[in-house]
Parts: sequence; structure tokens; C-alpha cells
Amino acid sequence: MSTLIEDPTVSTSLNFTPSAIWPEWFRAEQEAAWQEYLATPAPTRKNEPWRFANIKAIDLSSFGSAPAIASEGKLINASAGLGEAAARFIFGNNTLVHSEASGLPEGVIVQPLDVAARENEALFRQYFMSQPVELGSHKYAQLHKAMLTGGMLVYVPKNVEVAHPIEIFHWVEGKNASVFPHTLIVLGDNAKATVVDYFQSADHAPAFACGINDFHLARGSKLTYAAVQDWSLETLAFHINSTIVERDATSTALVANFGGRHVRGESLSKLAGTGSNSVMLSLNLADGDREIDQRTFQDHAAQHATSDLLYQNVLDDNARTIFAGIIRVQPGEAHTDAYQKVRNLLLSNEAEAISMPGLEILNDDVRCSHGATSSGIDEEELFYMEARGIPRKTASRLIVAGKFISLLERIEDESLRKNLAAIVHKRLGID
Amino acid sequence: MPATIEQDDKPQIDIDRSVGDFRYDVNYEFDAGVGLSEATIDYICDVKKDPDWIREFRKDGYRKFLEKPMPTHWASKDLENIVFENIRYYLSQGVQPKRSWDDVPEEMKKTFERLGIPEQERKYLAGVEAQFDSEAAYSNIKAAVGEQGVIFVGSTEGLHKHPEIFKKWFGKVIPSSDNKFSALNSAVFSGGSFIYVPPGVKVKHPLQAYFRINAQNFGQFERTLIIADEGSEVMYMEGCTAPKFETSTLHSAVVELVALKGAKIQYVTVQNWSPNVFNLVTKRGLAHEDAEIKWIDCNIGSRLTMKYPGVIMKGKRARGEVISIALASDGQHQDTGAKMIHAADDTTSNVVSKSISIGSGVATYRGLVDIPPHRKGCKNNTECDALLINSHSRTDTYPAIVARGNQNSFQHEASVSKINSEQIFYMQQRGLTEGQAMSLAVNGFVNDLVREFPMEYSVELKRLIDLEMEGSVG
Amino acid sequence: MSLSIQNLTANIGDQQILKGVNLEVPAGEVHAIMGKNGSGKSTLAKIMAGHPDYTVTGGDVLMDGQSLFEMEEPDERSRAGLFLAFQYPMEIPGVTIANFLRAAVQARLPEGEELEATDYYAELYKKMDALKIQRSFTSRSVNEGFSGGEKKRCEILQMSMLEPKYAVLDETDSGLDIDALKIVSEGVNALRSPNRGFLVITHYQRLLDYIVPDKVHVMVDGRIVMSGDKDLALELEAKGYDWVTEPALA
Repeated sequence: MSTLIEDPTVSTSLNFTPSAIWPEWFRAEQEAAWQEYLATPAPTRKNEPWRFANIKAIDLSSFGSAPAIASEGKLINASAGLGEAAARFIFGNNTLVHSEASGLPEGVIVQPLDVAARENEALFRQYFMSQPVELGSHKYAQLHKAMLTGGMLVYVPKNVEVAHPIEIFHWVEGKNASVFPHTLIVLGDNAKATVVDYFQSADHAPAFACGINDFHLARGSKLTYAAVQDWSLETLAFHINSTIVERDATSTALVANFGGRHVRGESLSKLAGTGSNSVMLSLNLADGDREIDQRTFQDHAAQHATSDLLYQNVLDDNARTIFAGIIRVQPGEAHTDAYQKVRNLLLSNEAEAISMPGLEILNDDVRCSHGATSSGIDEEELFYMEARGIPRKTASRLIVAGKFISLLERIEDESLRKNLAAIVHKRLGID
Repeated sequence: MPATIEQDDKPQIDIDRSVGDFRYDVNYEFDAGVGLSEATIDYICDVKKDPDWIREFRKDGYRKFLEKPMPTHWASKDLENIVFENIRYYLSQGVQPKRSWDDVPEEMKKTFERLGIPEQERKYLAGVEAQFDSEAAYSNIKAAVGEQGVIFVGSTEGLHKHPEIFKKWFGKVIPSSDNKFSALNSAVFSGGSFIYVPPGVKVKHPLQAYFRINAQNFGQFERTLIIADEGSEVMYMEGCTAPKFETSTLHSAVVELVALKGAKIQYVTVQNWSPNVFNLVTKRGLAHEDAEIKWIDCNIGSRLTMKYPGVIMKGKRARGEVISIALASDGQHQDTGAKMIHAADDTTSNVVSKSISIGSGVATYRGLVDIPPHRKGCKNNTECDALLINSHSRTDTYPAIVARGNQNSFQHEASVSKINSEQIFYMQQRGLTEGQAMSLAVNGFVNDLVREFPMEYSVELKRLIDLEMEGSVG
Repeated sequence: MSLSIQNLTANIGDQQILKGVNLEVPAGEVHAIMGKNGSGKSTLAKIMAGHPDYTVTGGDVLMDGQSLFEMEEPDERSRAGLFLAFQYPMEIPGVTIANFLRAAVQARLPEGEELEATDYYAELYKKMDALKIQRSFTSRSVNEGFSGGEKKRCEILQMSMLEPKYAVLDETDSGLDIDALKIVSEGVNALRSPNRGFLVITHYQRLLDYIVPDKVHVMVDGRIVMSGDKDLALELEAKGYDWVTEPALA
């Protein structure tokens, strides 16, 4: 086990240890991923996907493995999700501590990845990390693969609809612990499902989270996905996503970032079949000295496809956000509709929001637009509320909540929407 | 997603003697030879009788040029086709190559006709005459210069005769170290204008670069410095819609503008270099309190143009604006954009960029809007729209906006659309040919921006766009 | 002098839409074509105008003896005197009605002859007034933001300015209320003349109360299966299209 001694960002306490939970062939792949991780140079600002990034924050040197959870019961109780769920799974420090799957229809497979690798090998091999990570974090994706011991597969077969959401909780506990959450969703033709990932810290300690979530939607299928990220304010987190949408399928995904000290999010949507749709939403609250750095890619590789991205950032104190999004329309992909909008609301004088909305259009039959705005709170709006007796600070929070809630309107599932709205209100200190 | 463009294998570039099917006689009186070295710099200084401080400035620029790498990690890899050793860096205007009117190709003559270029200009543009009798044509500029105390001379004369003003600002807006090509220009600059407008003087007629043609204005490495003193106003126009007979293939100009308190500068450029030219320009303005700098830019020619006009708003309530039209046809790459730095409170900037890509043309927009910490009341509005005409064309948009603090606002919108075949069919059903339909639609797209150009240009510009559109229809 | 469609067959891609259409519209007459959706009525209109999506596989269309198909480009046919009022008129952002029509009218003048601006505007305003289109519309982009009725009136305005020999109106009445319908019909009727032929394509009989046809033809499955006078339209309205379809397919 060699470590690249010149790379200060590589942790000396995070080591690759093959685990017996995986079949032999996967362990070999993990070994290769570990070597790839060590051999890949750390990113620098000169790399286009890391332009403006705070590279110094990407320092893994203090992180180590995650010990077993002290009190599983406590975590299970704290995993409050939606009222009615089709299934619920809880991970603590990479280990599955609770599973409940009574509400799932026939044929639906929701199982930990190591079980999937054994019992559904063909499916696993076909979809597990099949999409290369192109938005900058290839090195860390390889680290994730090498260190993976948990993670879930959600498979819904053809024509099956799962009425209620499937919830997965990922907890981290302990100082400098590292967790590697993974959610792999595969929907068959015309299948339908809602999946919610919750990322939370059991304490306020610094930690490292490196998560991947990949979605594969077959013809005519429909996925609604939400990720609520609420790691401790001292956590370094990577969340890497890819969404592949086939013919006539629709994916609606929302990522809400409330926690983490430095968060790097990468989201890729590939519109791979005619009539495919992808809606990419994100609401981000950055305060204190926190940083949220998000890179996205809307890749149109089919005709009559639509993608629509809307990100709302709210910044306070010394916070910093970066948004860089590319819409690429390949040659020959006619009748493309692609939209991208990022809105930045800056509440303090020291906050900094960087926007790089990008377009790469190699086709002439497209309708694409992107927009980015940044401003402080509209004084008129504040005044209006104050004139109704609402104190300024509360008015401010209400306005921020309003921006987030209006983004949630894009979620069709009413109870999911209500639940997310409640989380937003709670996080903002509004009842 | 690399922000680079793949180019087909293009031949290396040198001072190409076979531009199109042009033929001409060559007779060099002052010729520094090919390639660049300290000796070349010394030669240039000796010929021009430059003072020591300029010699030192040039040599420093040369050193910086050698140090800096080509910016191909973000810019077009086509830059690698420039062979610096084969380029002539100094050639006296007095003996520019020329040819007879009979040798001028028919299409060129027809283009002049179509664009309505005045008779007297045609021979100059076609390379038939080395000099252009501007004195008669531009008598009103002469008046402004004479009566109002405006200084309007070539850059060489400027630095010799007005060293105090020249030295104060020269190289301050764009330091040699800014980029590889501004460094090159600092080393070998020759030609370009030096303009000083005294306080309160509002120059009524636009000053045109043509006026200075006889004194080596048009060169590969022009250096222009315009200083508008407090409360003054001036408009400067360079370039023209007609294609110009061109022998050198690397143009690397530097334009520095300084608008002092309450002053206003508008700088209008119409660029239509022939399709083998690399046009790499650094343009920047410094706007003081209550001052305004507006860049109005149209890029139609050249093989590769890289140009990102910028304004540093360094005084309160300063204003910066970039209005840009780019047309990229087969084999062309227009890589343009804008840079707005809000270095003071209550400053506003506005960028409107419209690009059209035809055939295999590539149009790229790169923008930077920077609002440093502790600023308040700053506003930016950017609109960039791209129109694609055929299925091989390409357009990329890479803006970067760095916004800080809660007291500023910016807005950026970009869109890409195409002229679709249904619209063309509709217009054809009304009797317009495909070419006429395309040019109507394209003119509609850029109409608002063309109106920003002074009258002299906007009519020619519309005709030029029509010509380009007709040429693009197979 | 007539617009003569002879045994016309045509495809879109591999699919055959027109299966042998025969129809003659003499100059000075107004003929109507009625038919269900999918019968090929709009396709016939587009093919005559030269729409690139369709391929003619057989037959011919002669306009005053000249074959339309010898003129490959749509604009050639237009300048030869054919006008198509679109079912869905296109929006052309940035191009004003004034400029668009000026270019179209100019295109018909002999080489070298310039359109006189004052004459042009006088003519344009006169016709706009007659169609109750506000004069301010001249500076609006063609059809951009127009209501359905405004778009259709704009089509008639264009026809009025271009003075075609034969005009094909493709479902000009779709999406119009009675008031709009009346204005459009008045506009069309004002252009009737012994030197001009009209082919009015419609799904509903209602339009033909205002633009009274000399002859009515029924189109089923890519062919004209029945012809009659204006009463045929009323009979069709009363009995429904199936009345025609069944004997036609028999």
C-alpha cells in the first residue's frame, strides 16, 4: 500500500482495506480504484473544472476511518423522515443499522450494494459507477469506490410504481470520521419511484463525506429525488451525481445543502433518449465561513429533449458559493430545449457568489437560455413587510424562505414538497 | 468540459506572399527582416529615433513576451499555428507593397460597389495606393483638431512631442505583463493614434483612424492611447467594413483609454481583416469618477479574433459599456467578450453581445464581471445572444461573474436560437430568395445593435451582413 | 387561365399523403376544399408552395399553363403569382412588417427598379385600414406576440400587398371568432377579381357563409372524392364527414 508522499492532501490514516463483504471480483476493482486515486494528481485552479475553487479546503490529511456507531438506537430515533414511506434504511458510519421494507411492491429490489453485487451481479455490473466522473472529482470518485462498504441499490422493474417514497439516512459520527454514502437507482421501462437521501451528522465534529448517487432511467420511467444535506458545519463533503435519462423518461432531482463547511457538488444529466427530460433543482444556504461549490452539466445527446436547471443560493456572513454549469448540445440533436438559471441572494457585505453559466452549442436547432442573477434583498420587499409590523430580521428570513419554497413548487409530490418546506422553515428558524 | 476548440490541421502562418490571388510589387526601404530579437528592437528604436525610456520599455516588453506561455489552456489551439520567427515586425509605411488596379480581383471591386465605399478609399483599401489622401476628405476633423486644441497624432509623434502626457498614462491601463500579446505589442509597437482632448472640449465629429493613415496608422502592432480630460467627450472610429488588402497575418494591437472625471469616450471598431489574419487585441479603458467608456465593436473578418474589451470603473458612478456584434463564417473563430471591473461604488456596466455563426464558423463569448469586496451600489447587466445558421456551426458562452456583498446586483442572460427552416420557407413563400430571407432575419437579430454604430458605419454594416449571408447560402 | 392540379401524388418521408388529386380552379373563381383532419388538405397547400419536407412522386400542378414543379424554390413560385396564407403563420422576431413586406414587394420588381417609399407606405396604410389593422403594427415584428386573429389578418394584408394570381388559404378560419372571421372574409372578398383564383381550405362550413364558393370539393384520404356547388358544404355539415367517407372507401 503506497502513498503518494508528495501529495499533502492524501490522508495517511485513510487506507484501503479490502472487505470480505464484497465478492472477490469487486475487491479487485477496489484495489485498482485505490491505485488510481493515489496516482491522479490533486486538482489545481488551472484545471477548468476547478476554476475559482478554494483548493486549500480539499485537504483530506486529517481524516481517518469511521468507528462503529456508539448508540444505534439514538440514530434510528433521530431519523425522522416523511410520515409514510415505502421503505426506510439507516446507515451509521457506513454500516446499515436499520432496514424496513414492508411497503414495497413485488419485484422491487432495495438492498445494500454488497448484497446486490452478489445476488444481482449482472444488474450491479451494468450500472454501478458506469458513468465516468467528468466534472472534476474523478480522483475522489475513485477514493469513494475503494473505500465503499455501504450504499444502497434501488431497483424498480418495468411498469411498477412505488407509491410512497423510499428513504435512506446516512449518518456520520465521531471526530474526523469518513463516510462514503452511495445510492444507485435503476428504474425499468415505465417504472416510477421517489427516493429521498438524508445526510446528517450525529455530532458537531469535523468529518469527511464522499458520496455518489447515480440514476438510470429506462424508457418512460419517472424519478423524483431529493437529497437533504445537513452535515455538521465542520464537514468536508463531496456529492457526485449522474442522471441518465432514456426515451420519454423524466427525472426531477432536488439537492438542498444546509450543512458542511466545504461542499463540492457535481451533477450531470445526460439526456440520452428522444423526449427525455431532466429537472435539476438546488437550494443552498451558505453562512458563516462556509463554501458551496457546484458544477453541473446538461448533456443533450438526443432529440426533443428538455433540461431545466434552477439553483437558488442564499449567502450570509463570509460565505462563498460557486456555480459553474454547462449546457452542451451535440450535433444532430434537434428540437432541444435547455434552460439554466442560477439566482444568488447575498445577505451580507462579505459574501461572495461566483457564477459561470456556460453554453456549448454544436447544433443549430436549439432553444437554449441561461441566466444568472445576484443581488441583496429587495429593500422594497423588506419595507413592505416591516410596514406590516414584521421585524426586519424575521422579514429577511421569510423572504429567503419564500425563494426556497418557490423552487420547491417544481416538485409534484405534495407530501414530499410539504416535508421539504418544513425542513427549510426549520433550518431558517421559522415556525 | 475543456473550453478549447479543435481545429482542423491548418498550415503554419508566416508573412504570406500568396494572400488570395493578389499580386503586388515589393520594395522595402526600412525593413527589420523576419523574426524577433533584441537586435530587431534596437533597429526599430534607431529608425524611429525613440528616446531611451521607450527603448527600455520595448526591451522589457520583449522579455515578458518570451516568458509568457501561449494561453492555449483556455484559448483556441489554433494559436499554435503562429510562427513568430517568420513574421516581419517592422516595415516602413512609406514603402508598403502596392499593385495596379487591374490586378485587383473582380469580387473585391464588386464588394466596394455593394458596400458603397467612396471612390477615393477604394484604391487604398485594394492595395493600389500606399497612401490615402485623407486631408481633403476629412477637413472637419482638421478643424476640430486645430480649433479646439485636440491633439490627434500618431503614437510615435505623440511620445516624441508630448512626453509628459504620454508618459503619464502609457502602459498604465494595460501593462506589458498583462498577457503575451500585449507584451509583444509593447516590444514592437508602431503606428496607432495618440489623442488628447482638453478639459471641457466636446469633439463634435468622430475622429477617424483613416485621418492618420499616412503616418503609419495601419500596421500589425498599433498602439493607441486616448486621454479625455475632465468633462470632455470624444468618439473614435477605426477599421472599415470593406475587406482590406493585407500582407501581414498577425495583428496584435493595444488600445488604452483614459476618461478622467466626467469625461466620455466612445470607441468604435469595425473589423474585417482577410480570413488568414490572427487578430489578437487587448483593449481596456479606465473610467474615473462620473466618467463613461463605451466600446462598440463589430467583428466580421479574420481567421481568429481574440478581443475582450474591458472597463475598469475606478471612480464613483463611472460607467462601462460593451456593445458587440460578431459574425463567424466558414473557417472563422470570433472569440470575443467583455471584462468589467467595478472598482468603485455606484458604478454600472452593461454588456450586449450578439453573435452569428454560419457554416463551420465558431463564435465564443467570454466574459468577466468582477465586483471586489466592500463595494456597494454596483450594477451589471449582460445579455449575450447567439444565432446559429447552419448545422455545422458552433457557439460557446463562458461568462464568469464574481459578485460580492449584498449591496450590488448583476444580471446575466444568454440565449441561443436558430433561424429555422419554417421561417425561411414562410419568407420564401412571400417571394424572397433564401439568401434574402436569411439576411432579413439576421439583420432583424442585430438591428438594435447596428443602430448603436454611427451612421457612417451602420449602413455599410447592414450591407456587409447581407453580403455575408448571401455568400453563406449554398 | 387556371390553377390545374393533375393526378398529384406526394409523400412525406416514406408515407404517401396525396394519392392522386385532381382539381381545377379557373381564374375568377373561388373553390373550397373540405375534409377531415388528416385528409391531406394542408399537405396539398404546402406542396404547391414548395415546402421542403414533402416529395412529389407523380402528377403536376399548372399555374396558367406553367408547371409549378419546374420552379424549384418557393420564392420563384411566389413571384410567379402563387400565395399561400399559412394555417400557422410564423413569427419572425426582429423583422418588422414594414420591412418584410417592402422586401417582398421589391422582390417582384424588375431588376434595377427601386420601390418608391412614399407610394409603398400609402398603399400599405390603405390596406391596413381596410383590414382594421392599426398602423402602428408596421413597426412590430412579423406575427410576434400577435393573437390568432391578428396573425390571420396579417396574412390577408400580405396577400393584398402582393396581388397574387392564385391564392391558397389554408384553414384561414381556424381559431377565429365571428368578428375576426368577418373582417378576414371581407378582406378576401375585396380581392376577388376575374384574374384571380382562390382555393379555400377549411374544416368547417361556417367560413363559406362569408366567402361564398363557386365550387366545393371534398377530400378524403389524399384524393378529391366528391364535388358540387356551395350546397354540398351545407349537406356535409348536416350529415357529417362519414357520409362521404363510407361511399368513398367502398
